[in-house]
Amino acid sequence: MSLVRVLFYLMGFIAVASALYAASTTNLVRSIFVFFVTLFALAGLYVLALADFVAVTQVVIYVGGILVLILFAFMLSGKETLDVIQQQKGKFFSIGKLPAILLAVLFFIVIINVIFKADANNLSWVKDSIANNNTITPNAVMIDNIGVNLMTRYLLPFEAISVLLLMALVGAAHLSRKEGSE
Amino acid sequence: MNYYITYFIVAVGLFSFSAFFALFGVYAERKISAFIQDRLGPTETGKFGSLQTLADIMKMIQKELIIPAAADKWLFMLAPAVIFIAVYMGFAALPWGPGLIPSKINLGIYYIFAIISIETLGILMAGWGSNNKYSILGAMRSAAQIISYEIPAGFAIISVVMIAQTLDLQAIAMQQGVLSAEKIKFAGFWDVTATGGFFSWNIFRAPHLIIAFVIYFIASLAESNRAPFDIPEAESELVAGFHTEFTGIRFALVFLAEYSMMFLVSMIGVILFLGAWNTPLPNIGPAHLASWTTGMWWGILWVTLKTLGLVAIQMWIRWTLPRFRVDQLMNLCWKVLTPLAFLCMLISGVWRLWLM
Repeated sequence: MSLVRVLFYLMGFIAVASALYAASTTNLVRSIFVFFVTLFALAGLYVLALADFVAVTQVVIYVGGILVLILFAFMLSGKETLDVIQQQKGKFFSIGKLPAILLAVLFFIVIINVIFKADANNLSWVKDSIANNNTITPNAVMIDNIGVNLMTRYLLPFEAISVLLLMALVGAAHLSRKEGSE
Repeated sequence: MNYYITYFIVAVGLFSFSAFFALFGVYAERKISAFIQDRLGPTETGKFGSLQTLADIMKMIQKELIIPAAADKWLFMLAPAVIFIAVYMGFAALPWGPGLIPSKINLGIYYIFAIISIETLGILMAGWGSNNKYSILGAMRSAAQIISYEIPAGFAIISVVMIAQTLDLQAIAMQQGVLSAEKIKFAGFWDVTATGGFFSWNIFRAPHLIIAFVIYFIASLAESNRAPFDIPEAESELVAGFHTEFTGIRFALVFLAEYSMMFLVSMIGVILFLGAWNTPLPNIGPAHLASWTTGMWWGILWVTLKTLGLVAIQMWIRWTLPRFRVDQLMNLCWKVLTPLAFLCMLISGVWRLWLM
């Protein structure tokens, strides 16, 4: 096995194992920190897929931003509320959780189905790209490509997301505003 | 296979460098603070107290590692390692001289920006894991501060990247001296491609980057939790903030991370704004000072000197200014630095389009 393949399986294993731990543990803070390991392993997988920009963005946004905000919300909420969540009784699988289990299993079946149906080894567009030499090499500079595509082909989604974020920002500013003292 | 051996040697070299720098940094800090406060500082151990930090580290290593009974053991034990590794990994992408860079990745600056944001997570781990109200308050303050100050720092970096048109730190360094492949104009009008020296540094190439540099420098002080932004470890209110409960080698690791972070952020500032490993001496007529003083060893010398200069300014500021209050800190970040950084980014875009 080549080094790349070993690394792929190693990081895949870390991602899956840490995700399972994050989902099953009752210690909420630990599950957040383990989720960080999952995200990091995913970033490693992106690097192996030559998507280093996506990998670094993943670390910036999820680890530097979202995880820290989750922890923040966690530490600002009262200890009593958290204790109620942490002292959940019952096993990992129980009748009360049937809808959730059903949903998860169905979704899993869909994903497996997609993976097998797609037949990733002989996709026609992949073969075309290889035949036309339209591939990227490990030391290609991808940021120019990403920038140009964002500003031309994907301009509408890009702008729509910026409007969405602006709405969230305005909403947050409105919610946190002090009431006027009339 | 030889590749991997080189990688290991480079990694060990960077680690020993950061450890050595922390030793030197603590000594320098104590001497500088003593000078500013009109004291003598360490004098007993070794000549001029130069072995003081070595003695300190010996003491640290021998100390007992105490884990508080109510602490979350895993988080508590892993936190110093996460804090240090986050900073240490940033060193991998810094260029030291022409052709001399541990890992030449084309996302250099973006990678460093991402990897040092993990330090926040380590600090939160330490704060929560200690299970102590002072620690958790310090950790929360630190996280709030680092997240806020990442924004002006990020925009100051973006305004440089817009001028340089690349994220590769080695390419950014290359553009700021006589080795540049493209045409460099001093302040947008005077062609200094062959002159080099300090004329071609980024802050003089586009003068609005001086403002960006000041913004970056202030934000980097906040990101490395240094005074006047050291509210996470404010001794008078929080004992010692997030590292209250740490002892022995773990405490040493937290400090190692702080000093490595000081060096790292200063070096990024030097690379982005102050000409990286390029010489400050320009070519004047027949005296080719710039060409004579450019090279691998010269590069290491210049980049180290400039970085140590910035580190000295950080220490000077720490022992001169009082600590900010939380609200003053946030006001400065959101009402002053962020709009200014946005303005710098805007000017960069116009500058790139019309003057370069």
